[in-house]
Amino acid sequence: MAAHAANTSEDGVVVLHCPPELEREALVNHNRSLNWITENVSVICEERTRRWWWIAFLIFSPIALLVPLLLGYQVSNGIGVWGENQPFGWAWDITNFVFWIGIGHAGTLISAILFLTRQKWRTSINRASEAMTLFAVMCAGLYPGFHVGRVWKAWYLFPIPNWNGLWQNYRSPLLWDVFAVSTYFTVSVLFWYVGLIPDLAMLRDRAKSKIKQWGYGIAAVGWRGGNRHWQHYEMAYLILAGLSTPLVLSVHSIVSFDFATSIVPGWHTTIFPPYFVAGAVFGGFAMVLTLMLPARLLYPQIDDMMTRNHVDKMAKIILLTGSIVGYAYLMELFIAMVYSGHFYEYNAFYNRATGWYAWHYAAMMFCNVVTPQIFWFKAMRRNYIVVFIACQFVNAGMWYERFVIIGTTLAQDFLPSSWGHYTPSWVEVFTFIGTFGFFITAFLIFMRFLPMICAFEVKAVTPQADPHRDPKAGHDHAQPKEAALSAH
Amino acid sequence: MSKRILNHPQETETGPKYWRSLGQVADTPEFKTWVAREFPEGASEINSETSRRSFMKYMAASAALAGLSLSACRREEKNLVPFSRGVEWSVPGKPIFYATSRPHRRGAQPLVVATHDGRPTKVEGNPFHPACNGATDIHSQASLLDMYDPDRSRHFLNDGKVAEEKDFTAAIEALLKGASDGSGIAFLTEHFTSPTFRRLRDELAAKMPEALWAEYEPLGGEEARVANEAAFGKGLRPIPNLEKADAILALDCDFLGFDEGTLEGIRAFSKRRSPEQAMNRLYVVENRYTVTGGMADHRLRVQAGKVANVARQIAEIVGNKIGDETLKSVVAKFPQTPAFAAEQGKWIAEAAEDLILKKGAALVLVGYRQPAAVQALVHAINAALGALGSTVVGRKTSGKPGATIADLAKGISGGNVKTLFILGGNPAFNAPADLKFGKLISSGSVTVIRHGLYEDETTFSTEHDEHGVETARHFVKWHVPAAHYLEAWGDGRASDNSILSQQPMILPLFGGWSEIQLLNFILTGKKSDGLDLVQATFKQLARGIDTESWAKFLHDGFLAGSEAKREPLALNAAPVAELVSTYQAAEGMEVVFAPCAKVDDGRHANNGWMQELPDPITKQTWDNAALISPATAKKLGLEAKQGNGVFVFDNGTWLTVEVNGASLDIPAIIIPGHADDSVTIAVGYGRTFEGRVGGREGNYMSHGGWFAQHTGVGFNAYKLRTMAAHYIASGAKVRKIDRKAYPIAITQEHGALEGRGADVIREATAETHKHEPGFAKDQHWLHQHGAMDAEAEERDKKGYPVPKSSYSHPELTDKNHQWGMAIDLSACTGCSACMIACQSENNIPIVGKEQVIEGREMHWIRMDRYFVSDMNAREDKTVNISEPRMVMQPMPCQHCENAPCETVCPVNATVHSDDGLNVMAYNRCIGTRYCANNCPFKVRRFNFFDFNERAKDKVFRWNLINEKGMADTLKMSKNPNVTVRMRGVMEKCTFCVQRVQEAKIAAKVKAKDTDKVQVPTDSFQSACQQVCPTGAIVFGNLKDPNSAVTKTKDNPRDYRLFDYIGVNARVSYLARVMNPNPKMPDAPKDAIMGHSKGGHA
Repeated sequence: MAAHAANTSEDGVVVLHCPPELEREALVNHNRSLNWITENVSVICEERTRRWWWIAFLIFSPIALLVPLLLGYQVSNGIGVWGENQPFGWAWDITNFVFWIGIGHAGTLISAILFLTRQKWRTSINRASEAMTLFAVMCAGLYPGFHVGRVWKAWYLFPIPNWNGLWQNYRSPLLWDVFAVSTYFTVSVLFWYVGLIPDLAMLRDRAKSKIKQWGYGIAAVGWRGGNRHWQHYEMAYLILAGLSTPLVLSVHSIVSFDFATSIVPGWHTTIFPPYFVAGAVFGGFAMVLTLMLPARLLYPQIDDMMTRNHVDKMAKIILLTGSIVGYAYLMELFIAMVYSGHFYEYNAFYNRATGWYAWHYAAMMFCNVVTPQIFWFKAMRRNYIVVFIACQFVNAGMWYERFVIIGTTLAQDFLPSSWGHYTPSWVEVFTFIGTFGFFITAFLIFMRFLPMICAFEVKAVTPQADPHRDPKAGHDHAQPKEAALSAH
Repeated sequence: MSKRILNHPQETETGPKYWRSLGQVADTPEFKTWVAREFPEGASEINSETSRRSFMKYMAASAALAGLSLSACRREEKNLVPFSRGVEWSVPGKPIFYATSRPHRRGAQPLVVATHDGRPTKVEGNPFHPACNGATDIHSQASLLDMYDPDRSRHFLNDGKVAEEKDFTAAIEALLKGASDGSGIAFLTEHFTSPTFRRLRDELAAKMPEALWAEYEPLGGEEARVANEAAFGKGLRPIPNLEKADAILALDCDFLGFDEGTLEGIRAFSKRRSPEQAMNRLYVVENRYTVTGGMADHRLRVQAGKVANVARQIAEIVGNKIGDETLKSVVAKFPQTPAFAAEQGKWIAEAAEDLILKKGAALVLVGYRQPAAVQALVHAINAALGALGSTVVGRKTSGKPGATIADLAKGISGGNVKTLFILGGNPAFNAPADLKFGKLISSGSVTVIRHGLYEDETTFSTEHDEHGVETARHFVKWHVPAAHYLEAWGDGRASDNSILSQQPMILPLFGGWSEIQLLNFILTGKKSDGLDLVQATFKQLARGIDTESWAKFLHDGFLAGSEAKREPLALNAAPVAELVSTYQAAEGMEVVFAPCAKVDDGRHANNGWMQELPDPITKQTWDNAALISPATAKKLGLEAKQGNGVFVFDNGTWLTVEVNGASLDIPAIIIPGHADDSVTIAVGYGRTFEGRVGGREGNYMSHGGWFAQHTGVGFNAYKLRTMAAHYIASGAKVRKIDRKAYPIAITQEHGALEGRGADVIREATAETHKHEPGFAKDQHWLHQHGAMDAEAEERDKKGYPVPKSSYSHPELTDKNHQWGMAIDLSACTGCSACMIACQSENNIPIVGKEQVIEGREMHWIRMDRYFVSDMNAREDKTVNISEPRMVMQPMPCQHCENAPCETVCPVNATVHSDDGLNVMAYNRCIGTRYCANNCPFKVRRFNFFDFNERAKDKVFRWNLINEKGMADTLKMSKNPNVTVRMRGVMEKCTFCVQRVQEAKIAAKVKAKDTDKVQVPTDSFQSACQQVCPTGAIVFGNLKDPNSAVTKTKDNPRDYRLFDYIGVNARVSYLARVMNPNPKMPDAPKDAIMGHSKGGHA
């Protein structure tokens, strides 16, 4: 009511003066036409490869090659080339797994949950962030696959009928992980691909070379944009969005079960599932921004589609999830150190904060709890440089969080005789760097060959797509410039 | 000969039925006979009732006859041939056990050795011999690996060149021709207890009267011999009778360690350690922590050189209080020593009072490293305390002492010795440095014939230029490869002087000769196989020989009734008084040359098991170091930081130790409980021979394959040792030097209990135990000490949820067998023999120093060592890190019934068996390591590399490209009943499942159709249980009400670790009970051993 001012008119009738509805910021700036969108999305895939692309590719693809090289080294020697030991059964491997899988949350969240909640601003960023999700999940999947001692026997993890009379242990959260991650990856790929089809057809139709026509043609699976196609497409997309939504929540919950269902003080805690999911969204959005902000710089034309508004909104989500994460950290401390009355739990958290890895803990707290607080300020949310730097803190902070959970817990558990230290080996460090190389290389290839922005969906959220866009009859958007011109 | 009779188990009533023929389906009698035969008709008709045991007798007897009577007719040919045809008594997978003995300077060790297909695979104690009760020591266990060492000497060497055996025999014949009376000939031997060796030596000495016979043991008991002779006359030595002793004062005497103690003594001591009977009380005075110090009720740390002062004060008090004139007169002769500070003085006075109180059942022990004067004084104290004949008994010694190595050195440098035979030992490495023995034998003035297991420092010496590059090698004239004791006939005398047999398990792997073969060759010019020599001795000693007694001797492993009788002891006051007057006080900083619990005097340096075994006290592997106290460290400028309640010491910092005119650069380890102004260095390290484990080729730190750095294996303390300052050297100068910290491989970084004592190690005094025998499970006690178990109980009462598994327990369906273990913390000394027995039994690989530093050692049973400070013992309630107590806890897999490892394995590789074992399916394991993370006891071990297939310095090479495989001889050493694990799989203690299964199968076979399939009570043991000299580990069937483990678990002291997490461990511990004297200044103030939160160093 406060927003409404009530006045009594001269003839005694109460007139409610509604203030003008707050203007929604345009999702596409400069009132671009549909054709402009098609042209500017497609041109990235059609133009001659730019020089910066080649430079970036030549930098990151050799780094990506570290992954097969070092994994080959690890497989042919043994896990010992990593720094793990007793009591550190896991260290950087699972830390990096959880880190990457967390990043892989943002894409599907943007695509599915924001789709279902009709958040139209998702359209220009969903394709890229979904691609990012896939690449992140690939990086993530590498670790549980290769961290096992005998990777050539890793197929034992899958319920493949065999004559050994052996079956998986369904009590093990690690097995749930296998199903959760593989399901998530499968659904994410399908979701991403289904969403790509209309745009693939667009590229096919515009392609000039035979190879491109063939390539895009096969990938577009005969999309003609007919009414029936659209009808099926919308239904399929909706179903996949419905399927993906619980998966977004389940994957990281199940990843957190790896720890929560164990008996180790510091892991054995029920707070993990929501805290992990919030952390994943938090870290994922930071990574989306990490990729998106440079992309906007490199392709200035997409600036009109991925606007400052988008960055603002994502920063708000980072602030929200970051605060949830911060709350979880404090609640975790409260539970362990005050509420539980459990000496070992107390010690686990005390050691975490003050022990050998105290600086990891401090880094985590600073990056994840303090940094996002600057997003309370709109100016900060809208400052690309500030956002980019803050996102890097969040990326680092989320890595530290995973290491703190895994490392500090294993360092000091029940018997002091078995307490130990861990330092990563060069193999682990460079493998991790290699996954970044792969991640960025894959993203570069994606940008180059596939439409980075979901053109048809962006078109759908432009005013031009609205059949009732007559300014008088329609919504009170600002007079479209284009329409005004044509009226003249 | 008895055939193997196959008793097929009865088919089950239900489930699928498998059949071989229609005959089986019909279950005809014909078919049953056919199945019972291993071979078809006619092949197994010879059947007699001869048992394996009597068969052994016949075999041995026929071998004996062949040796005695037929050798003159035709020389028997002996070859090592593979089993191209099945040998009647050899069943693949079934071991054959032979009794034998391991020669040792302090008496041979009676053993039983398991052989598989003619390969010795496991060493056990001889259960029939009273001196060992089936237990063994670390070195006997590890000697097996010594035999298979691929670095052993393989050839006769003439001036360093490979020669034939016949060249050697010809050369020796030529050499001896001109010296029939033995002039110019000298022999240097180890202290052999073998009667045959002594017989041959005496015969040779009679033949060559001019020859010089020297004997050298780097850790011999020369001082003890002098003191014993003075006190009790020639040929008698005092033996502690620990079973009788109510109060024991050990003065620098590690009588519970394997260097100084005997298995007999350790067992006798531990028998008196259980609080259910009258407990003994142990006072220990020593400069460094030993396992004996760890067992002490009261421990006083003083410099080794000041132990004499303690002895003198004790003697003074005892003499005055008892009024013993002899002791008074002896003490009067002992030079005056400075008095101790108040608290130490009180300690000594009260300890003396307690000894006087227990007169007749009191015992003072003194270490062989102490000067003869101190030892003689202790004999006088014992006499005054009425110990002679009660807690100290006499035994005759055998053999007469030879010349010393100093006499020999004089002979060589004087030109009197032209030919020197060195039998065993490694004098160039371990002789006193002032003799310069290595130089002497390579000077060319003497022809040296060297008989040894390795081509080591004595076989050749090297010269180096200033860069350390080898420029020249000087070889002895002849090197003769020695046969290992498992390869040769021989005999020996146990610590109780009984005669032990020593029979070969295998022909010499590398064509070596035994000592007696070599001596016999010098004597007769003929090469014997050793058997006839031993039999000839046996004939003398056993007063005649017949096949029966010889066979029994071989079978039993010893000659019953041959042990030395107890002789009456009487103190000869005058010689004692004379001897004690020679005592010279030591001043200033001292260096103590300690025996190593692992490599002994250096002879086991090339043994990977020994190098990787954590030292019982320091937990150091692969090196020795200079041990110093925290206060001395501070004085030297080494830092001790405190962070997170943990003292982080500046370990690995280099020190220069200067003493006896030599200096040694060595890294330091700061260890609590060490005396101030005292440095302890273990001998036997820093060897320079070409051994790939313990020698020059020893250790590489590859740092992940990038920067290889050679670190060697330890530092040679023999360089500092002289004839005069053999064990304790005073007046040392020690200073810190600036050099990059030396990497030290310590397996247990954290030695404090962090307030978890009441959960992990429950302790009380005998007094408390008397009133509250069930204190270990008592809620009040647990609560008072902050145990989580009490917390859980409390929560349960209040109605809070208590963590319980959703699975009540696994399906433990075996009604006859449920396996369990109980470990008595009161008895366990922490000697770590269980770790080596386990390693030998279960084919556990070594990983190398670098991997130990990484924290990847593979031992299935861990010996946790904690230092404990009783907060209430001090007025100011602070932690005194210099004087903590020490507690030990063996930690095998706890075989939890609700095993946390099992629930988290995604591939079901670790599961529970029906009989309650937590088992590993190696084939199924993919190596996620989740089980290890979720194990509250951290007992799971992961194969980070192919430790079995790769040399320890080559783990980082590309496995697919580089060649793999282990040395052939090492392959032979493996227990064929235990899988050799590959990389990438998890492993852990199995409760010796192979032994469990063997026993179960045997019981089933015996049960035939009946349902009496329960394994007979305590009919087998786990490897750790079998080796344990104190009997602290009890393993067995919980379903058998008569089994030792069932009874032990009924003890009210029994408790399990971390019950509150609901794991239901199958291993339980008996709480540790100490027997402190309340009058002592360091006695716990509140009659409860202190484990309170936060109160630990």
